[in-house]
Amino acid sequence: MEKKIALLAFLSLLAIPAYAQTDSQWTLEQSTLSYHVSHPLHQVDGVSHAARGKGICHAGQCDFLIAVPVKSFDSGDSNRDLHMLQVARGGEFPMLTVRTRLPEDAADSTTIFADLEIDFSGQTAKFRHIPFQLLTQGPVSKISGTIPTTLTDFKIDPPSLLAMPVKNEIPVRVEMTWRREK
Amino acid sequence: MNRKRTKVISMAGILAFFFLFVLPVRAQVAGTTLSGTIIDTSGKGVANAKMSIKNVATGQSVQTLTNESGIYGVPGLAPGDYEISVFAEGFSTNVSNVTVAGGPAQTMNLTLAGVLSLQDLGFSAGQTQGSAQDQARLDKRSHMLKIHQRLGLIATVPIVASVITGTQAGGRSTSSTDRYLHLALGSAAGDLYFMSAYYAIRAPRIPGTQTRGPIRLHKALAWIHGPGMILTPILGAIAFDQKSKGEKVHGIASAHGAVAIVTAAAYGASILSVSFKF
Repeated sequence: MEKKIALLAFLSLLAIPAYAQTDSQWTLEQSTLSYHVSHPLHQVDGVSHAARGKGICHAGQCDFLIAVPVKSFDSGDSNRDLHMLQVARGGEFPMLTVRTRLPEDAADSTTIFADLEIDFSGQTAKFRHIPFQLLTQGPVSKISGTIPTTLTDFKIDPPSLLAMPVKNEIPVRVEMTWRREK
Repeated sequence: MNRKRTKVISMAGILAFFFLFVLPVRAQVAGTTLSGTIIDTSGKGVANAKMSIKNVATGQSVQTLTNESGIYGVPGLAPGDYEISVFAEGFSTNVSNVTVAGGPAQTMNLTLAGVLSLQDLGFSAGQTQGSAQDQARLDKRSHMLKIHQRLGLIATVPIVASVITGTQAGGRSTSSTDRYLHLALGSAAGDLYFMSAYYAIRAPRIPGTQTRGPIRLHKALAWIHGPGMILTPILGAIAFDQKSKGEKVHGIASAHGAVAIVTAAAYGASILSVSFKF
């Protein structure tokens, strides 16, 4: 009986450090995020390369956080960008964040489906089962896809030009390069 | 005899009372006791973590909390599949599945990963925290620029009209009516122009913003039509005076028409430079 207790205690000592380990970590190396706005008179793309991201994996699941300053999006016109910043309430909510959880072995796939939780303009919107293409070479994974966001998802009034509002759909194109660190 | 009977009844009552309490107690401890430790990634027990253990088949769930060492224990689980959800402040929710085999005890240890924060990504508090004042500045800027835009567009009407009537007012066979009409339109254009300019100049600047794109041309053209809108009425007043005296427009006043046309052209280009945006 004493031997059994000693063995259990020994196993417990081994088990706790094993749980304490972080299996792996992901770091966002490069990114291009671009929103597309459609207006009857013209089309606009706002691009940002300022996103930062991390993923931490435990027990086969990875939690990711990606964040980008709203004011980092550049549409080629500072006046328009400030107007977008204003309608998106970027003064009060300066960051756009995306959280998602993926299985650790998702990196082995060529297509992944992610459930995203996006905080933007003081609102949280959830997007289910969004497909992304994945290309993994060694520790580096390149991910690309489009998130079908709309202005109403974040309760943003559509800005207008010459009394014509922009379309409600503002798809966000995502291209990211992640590096895995054991 | 009666005392003996009463004693027997009392004993039976006590026994019945005892069984009423004992049976539920026995029912509670029947089944498997699931226990374990909830730890964070450093191996430290997570105190007061909320746990929900749901029987997948029946949908019934039991709630419990971990103690100060992160240890939990849930007795009386029937064999079957369970979904365990663990919530704790500052950690990601851990949802795991376990199959209770039916023995007296079973262990399930779980790890809670910390929630990644913006600070973990290297953003400073200054970058991540907005303020109502910053938003108010943006709102005021947009509001003032919208008024600037509207007044500027309205001003194009008297500007164009005064350019057209200028050909009549400055001709050889000019009448005082033509001149007064031109003067009235020019005055209206000037008033609307300076009102519009006021809203552009007084709109709050946003710190850390560099001017990019067509707005640069829009602002550069203001250095032409701005002085032009000051000079044009001055030259016009001199020309009006000369005409009223029956003189031919001469001297510096003869530049009134040319300055007005350059001013109007710069103004038109300025509007066009920002028209294809919102």
